[in-house]
Amino acid sequence: MMNSTQPIRAIHENISRVIKGKPQVIELTLVALLARGHLLLEDVPGVGKTTLAHSLARSLDCSFKRIQFTSDLLPSDIVGVSIFNRQKQAFEFMPGPIFANIVLADEINRTTPKTQSSLLEAMSEAQISVDNQTYPLNQPFMVIATQNPAEYHGTFPLPESQLDRFLMRLRIGYPSPDEEKKVLDRPQSLHPAEDLQPVLAAQDVLDLQAQVDKVFMEESLTEYLLSIVQATRQSELVSLGVSTRGALALSRAVKALALVRGRNYCLPDDIKELAPTVLSHRIMVARTQGLRQRSFEQAERIIQDLVESVPVPV
Amino acid sequence: MPCDQALRLTSIVLASASFVGLVLGASLPGWLIFLTASALLVALSRTGNVTAITSVVRLVTLSPTTWNVLVLSGFLGFWIDSLWISGDLLTSGIHFLLVLMIIKLFNLQHRRDYVHLFAISLVAILAAASLTSELWYFPIFLAYMLAGVWTLLLFQLTKDAAVPSAAMRREPEPLESNRDVTPKLFWLANGLAAATFGLTLVIFFVIPRVSAGFYQKGYGENIRTSGFSNTVDLGSIGPIKRDRSVVMRVELPDRQAHEVGRFYLRGLAFDRYDGRSWANQLSHRRSLSEDSPETFTLRGSQSHKPSPHGPALRQHIQLEPLDTPVLFAAPFAESINGRFPAIQADVTGALYLPFPSSTRIEYSAVSRSNTVAPADLQPQPAAYPELFIRHFLQMPVQSERIAALARDVAESKQTIYEKAVAIQDHLSSHYRYSLDAPLAAQAHPLEEFLFDRKTGYCEHYATAMVMMLRAIGIPARLVTGFLATEWNEYGNYYVVRQQDAHAWVEVHLPHSGWVMMDPTPADGDSPGGTLPAWHTVQSMLDSVRLRWNRFFVQYSATDQLAVMRDLQTGSASVRLRTLDSLAAFLRPLTDAFETGIDSMTNGGLPHVVKVVAILLAGCGGVAWLVWARPWNWPRRSTGAAGNEQAIVQLYRRMLRQLERRGIRKPAAMPPLQFIRIIQAQWSTAGTAVASITELYCRARFGRVPLTREELHRAQETFHQLTSLSRS
Repeated sequence: MMNSTQPIRAIHENISRVIKGKPQVIELTLVALLARGHLLLEDVPGVGKTTLAHSLARSLDCSFKRIQFTSDLLPSDIVGVSIFNRQKQAFEFMPGPIFANIVLADEINRTTPKTQSSLLEAMSEAQISVDNQTYPLNQPFMVIATQNPAEYHGTFPLPESQLDRFLMRLRIGYPSPDEEKKVLDRPQSLHPAEDLQPVLAAQDVLDLQAQVDKVFMEESLTEYLLSIVQATRQSELVSLGVSTRGALALSRAVKALALVRGRNYCLPDDIKELAPTVLSHRIMVARTQGLRQRSFEQAERIIQDLVESVPVPV
Repeated sequence: MPCDQALRLTSIVLASASFVGLVLGASLPGWLIFLTASALLVALSRTGNVTAITSVVRLVTLSPTTWNVLVLSGFLGFWIDSLWISGDLLTSGIHFLLVLMIIKLFNLQHRRDYVHLFAISLVAILAAASLTSELWYFPIFLAYMLAGVWTLLLFQLTKDAAVPSAAMRREPEPLESNRDVTPKLFWLANGLAAATFGLTLVIFFVIPRVSAGFYQKGYGENIRTSGFSNTVDLGSIGPIKRDRSVVMRVELPDRQAHEVGRFYLRGLAFDRYDGRSWANQLSHRRSLSEDSPETFTLRGSQSHKPSPHGPALRQHIQLEPLDTPVLFAAPFAESINGRFPAIQADVTGALYLPFPSSTRIEYSAVSRSNTVAPADLQPQPAAYPELFIRHFLQMPVQSERIAALARDVAESKQTIYEKAVAIQDHLSSHYRYSLDAPLAAQAHPLEEFLFDRKTGYCEHYATAMVMMLRAIGIPARLVTGFLATEWNEYGNYYVVRQQDAHAWVEVHLPHSGWVMMDPTPADGDSPGGTLPAWHTVQSMLDSVRLRWNRFFVQYSATDQLAVMRDLQTGSASVRLRTLDSLAAFLRPLTDAFETGIDSMTNGGLPHVVKVVAILLAGCGGVAWLVWARPWNWPRRSTGAAGNEQAIVQLYRRMLRQLERRGIRKPAAMPPLQFIRIIQAQWSTAGTAVASITELYCRARFGRVPLTREELHRAQETFHQLTSLSRS
């Protein structure tokens, strides 16, 4: 697995030139990428969500599209539309912004459920259907969606079943004062990511994704993972536990994390570390646990507590 | 099979072994046997996951409180039982033990339940041991020990697996283990059991003992014999001649297997016949003097002066508990060796214990039979003392027919001996042997036998001969005992059964003294019919039983002393032989050494130097073992899987070490996170823990085999950590 460590480190360094002081976020982003997953960034505006997505795309030599979700956005604005070509006397499909490798879906909760679901469908199928025609999406394909947790007016919050399509939910958070100073000291440019040079080709990413599948997870670790999932289903604090898809997602994410950290086998640490990030948006916190205000932190804390109760195989 | 399932299985086997021991040793009520057996079966089928039973059992699953109430009521029942029902503390204790076992078998979930079951089984097998000294206990004990070793081993293995969860959960943890019983473990456990057994044997033979079978089932159930009381009705031996129960076993250390034949064991002699029954009027007993410890000698045991001339015959006799105090030996016993408080003898040379023994006893005897002196082959007038006339020439009513017959038979003979032989021959050739002779019912059974029926068995033959001899003035007496014919070729000893009970005649010759004669036809009195089909197996089993009794049940401090003496006397030769072979083995070395020394000192090298050199080498070897600890080396033969096991063990040991230091790894804490905790709390150990953990993770979760060097390094790191935690 020596050949995987080098490119991953390169891409990590590349992105951290732009995103300062957030090595964990970058690592998790890479995990999502390598696990063929999608990322939901839930944070306030202006902390670098777009920049993160952009710099990832630039580092990979991949195409990047940004879709600003508004309430009047239509599904065709995302997937594309068939237009009648007068010269050819035929309908011609004009691909939408989803035909990119990295797609940033900004403020996904601002658009209508109909439009949301067209995106989510594309995410899970890796292809779209327009007018009885099926068009495969580009590979690698990764959606980075953002949500603003502070605003609720005029939003259509994603239901839990839809949230399930995202591999993990992340916060970027404010950088530390020192790191923030570095950001300010940097030569001002409109798009800092534009200066990045690609370190990986799209094909390399696909190779790395294939390697994730070969990462070894020992049997007792699989049991450990499942007992964490089981714990979410049995906890009184949770009204809806993690689904099998959630367990599968955690397993894939754990393998990707092991690869990112230069191992070809998983460790209990990987599982424990990833569980809150991968599972917290897949559970419904019981009503008895108060209002759904700040449910993100609450769900994460519940998962963390549950993980603390599951014994690690020795 | 996973370890936890195997533990369950061996625990049940353990309980079954002790249960069988109790059933065979004590007379238990049927319902209790039934209940326990079904509890064992249910527990066993739950191990095998028989779904029907498991679901039924789940239906009747009771809460812990109910179980506690059951145990308490069982305890109450135990007191009621011991005070009123059985009235015996031991019996009721065994009942209570079985009740506890049943409850535990239904409730076998947590680790402590296994501990309890183990304890119950231990007490049960001990109770069984105190109840019996029979041979069947041996296989049961073997099974118990095998299962015991397995259970302890598996308990320890599953304990290691359950430790983290134990730290985690408050409630008693259920058994869980992902380990399997590998072939290696299987052989290891069996080897361990064999080693344990060997050690037990050594301890058994070495430590001083008190006794065995305190509460033996046998007491009060002595074998009922016939013919060994002071009065014996004619015909009373007949009914027991079909009883095959073993009365004694006789070993003849001086005799070879091919020399064996009919072997007489003398019991009592009778002088007085009243027409229906024999009585011993000379039964006044006196105690024999104890010459050396445990050796009793008969002096002047013969009521007449001539001393026996035959060769001495040694016998080892193992006598089952009989209802008579009579001791048996080949005629005529000179000395008895056995652990008895006293031995008594009467004038006729019969030997008695002070009272019948309730247990199996063992003794040795030296006997010397009388041969006919040459002087008795010459015709001589005989004069008998008053005692003889009164006792050995007595006749109930002068029966003319008998006297006439005797005279008729012996008329042509000159000497007493010849006359006796003639009567003996007449009886054995003219009368038919049969056990179906209801002569005892007759008013004159002897006349009936001699003149009408002419059928009878040993008693009739012997009585007839004595009466005929007395009728012509020859002193004679009737002797009862056993005639052994069954030789066990596997153990080289005689098996004497009830059916071997026999009666014969002793004739007094003026110069030879009492001489044994037997008018019963030679083939007539041997155990009739064909041998049972299982004869070979039975003989083998019987010889094993003899050994069991000899070397385990009756094994005494005396035997221990004897073994020690043998070892001491034997040790000289053993020592010499060992040294010789060692010297031969080391000859090239010592030769070179000697020549080297010789060239320096010009003197021969004494033997002592060789021995000192060997001793030094031995000490060096021990020192090397202590220093290098080869048992800590990675096991070579086991390969990668063994390495993985080794590093996991090492990691666990490290965790225990750290725990002793006060840093405990919570169960939910993964290994890498724990490194950070260590680095924060005990930074000096941080690198050591990190390096062991790294190797552990690689082998345990990555299944990347460690090299021997890596494992060795990990062990060294662990030792460093140990010394760190000590400082």
